[in-house]
Amino acid sequence: MRHWLDRLFILCTALCAALPVVIIVFIIGVIAWRGGGALSWEFLTDQIRSAGADGGIFYNIAGTLILLMTAFLVSVPIATGLALVHGVYLKNERTKERLWLLLSVLNGVPSILFGLFGLIVFVKYLGWGKSWMTGGVLLGLMMLPTVAVAFIEQIKSLPRHYIEAAAGLGLSDSQRVWSVVMPQCAGGLVTGSLLGLARAAGETAPIMFTSTIFAGATIPSGVKESPVLSLPYHIFILAQDSFDPAAGTNLWGTALVLLVLVLGLSLLALPARLHIHEESGND
Amino acid sequence: MLSLRNAARHWTWTRLASFAFTLLAVAFLGLMLGLFVWQSLPAWKHAGLGYITGKTWYFRQQEFGALAMIYGTFVVSAVALLLAAPVGVGAALFTAEVLPNRWRLPVKAAVELLAGVPSVVYGLLGILFLRNWVYDGLESFDLLSGDTLLTAGILLAVMILPTVMTLSDDALRAVPATQRRAARGLGLTRAETAILVGFAQSWRGMLTALLLALGRALGETIAVFLVVGRRDNALPESFYSIPPLVEAGQTLTSKLGGSETNIAYGDPLHWAAIVGLALFLLSIVAGISWAGARLMRRKEECDAPLA
Repeated sequence: MRHWLDRLFILCTALCAALPVVIIVFIIGVIAWRGGGALSWEFLTDQIRSAGADGGIFYNIAGTLILLMTAFLVSVPIATGLALVHGVYLKNERTKERLWLLLSVLNGVPSILFGLFGLIVFVKYLGWGKSWMTGGVLLGLMMLPTVAVAFIEQIKSLPRHYIEAAAGLGLSDSQRVWSVVMPQCAGGLVTGSLLGLARAAGETAPIMFTSTIFAGATIPSGVKESPVLSLPYHIFILAQDSFDPAAGTNLWGTALVLLVLVLGLSLLALPARLHIHEESGND
Repeated sequence: MLSLRNAARHWTWTRLASFAFTLLAVAFLGLMLGLFVWQSLPAWKHAGLGYITGKTWYFRQQEFGALAMIYGTFVVSAVALLLAAPVGVGAALFTAEVLPNRWRLPVKAAVELLAGVPSVVYGLLGILFLRNWVYDGLESFDLLSGDTLLTAGILLAVMILPTVMTLSDDALRAVPATQRRAARGLGLTRAETAILVGFAQSWRGMLTALLLALGRALGETIAVFLVVGRRDNALPESFYSIPPLVEAGQTLTSKLGGSETNIAYGDPLHWAAIVGLALFLLSIVAGISWAGARLMRRKEECDAPLA
């Protein structure tokens, strides 16, 4: 009886564990199968024609890359500052705890609220209109906790004797930052950024009101009134009213390009991320 | 010792910049909250508590009651959690307690990839597959379309599954392996060990996982937007009746993501009503994230002497 229950337990939990594997294989398979036909050199290098039914997605890819680059440049300095304050400068455990709570709360803020914030502050109050800069800043703020937390974890795992050696040499906190923490922990910054960018690349909600339009934008030359095209918004719009089979093929092709971009970034960050999670176990 | 520590605290440029950037991040969160409170004030003045409890939202008649959207948000999240919790915990029990290490990594990698799929892609798959499956599967209910609260809930369940699974797996693996070996040594089966040792000590961590997953579900916008139907004022007679689940509805996020946000800006009262939804959502999700982070910290403190 007990052994039958044991087998039943293993069977049930195994089915549960198989489900996410089946789902991801299904998602990748379906999108590769239906989007693969759209992929061609022309699709990647041509601009949108006939409302997405024809032509390619060159400026969508360019726009998404511009947004990501801006987000990266915004988030890295702020995340570094946060991580150094948490990991090096703050000595009071309670204050550190509060800062950590704040990062957790920021991490949980729904992405649409970033969009609304950007709409109020940048689009309307500062009068930028739709601008790639707004989207970049918002995505940068969104990925901030991911980058900062990865850096903080790395600082935490710094071998104790490195810090003791630095203290023994009489280095101040800031000297320690440049001679020990930054060289040893920069890897955390890279992993965090990759992971953050992977999330940011697929976000639609923060940029749909603030920085991206469906058609008619190329490479921006200024900040004010300079929207970009983007991959997720392209999918979002076509998904809502696409009964044209040609647009359908291009829709799946765009989804495939976005998926490759996002999963590629995730895959690059994967070894480090699994490492962090596996370390928490102890067998 | 004290003097040494003070000597290490000179205000250098590095230190100054670090604190300035930290302050910037803190100020951003404060500014967002302050802005939402300030901009939504007219709505609270106009409708009072009726803004939360009001059952009708007709912006042309200046009637702003958000209850139907609050209902939609919670129903969709509840469905997602009910579906994702057993599967996620079950999967974590399998990967942490049963699966040999060689197979662990591929499964974990698959889950990480699942977590990386953009919400607009989930939305697309929801539109082209899930809503047809729901429509065909529930033929006997005579659905108007496949865009229902249930569809959104199922889609959300898949989206929060990685959160539930990864955090539950972490919680299980924080239980010392020696205890498992002791249990097996006493003749307990793998299932008994998993439940009496693993689950018994990590259920608190799993609750945290569910809490954080709930926070994600409440705030998810794009995927829900595409399959929920976006029907205003879809409030059932009672909160616990089942049939409304298979009808179209509206959530806080699908409202915020819709065209009304663009229309509303010109009219102060209408705009205030929209921002009020954002404020309500922010308060709830921030509260949940805060509680989740506190729980996780407490767990770490409790575990520390054991590990």
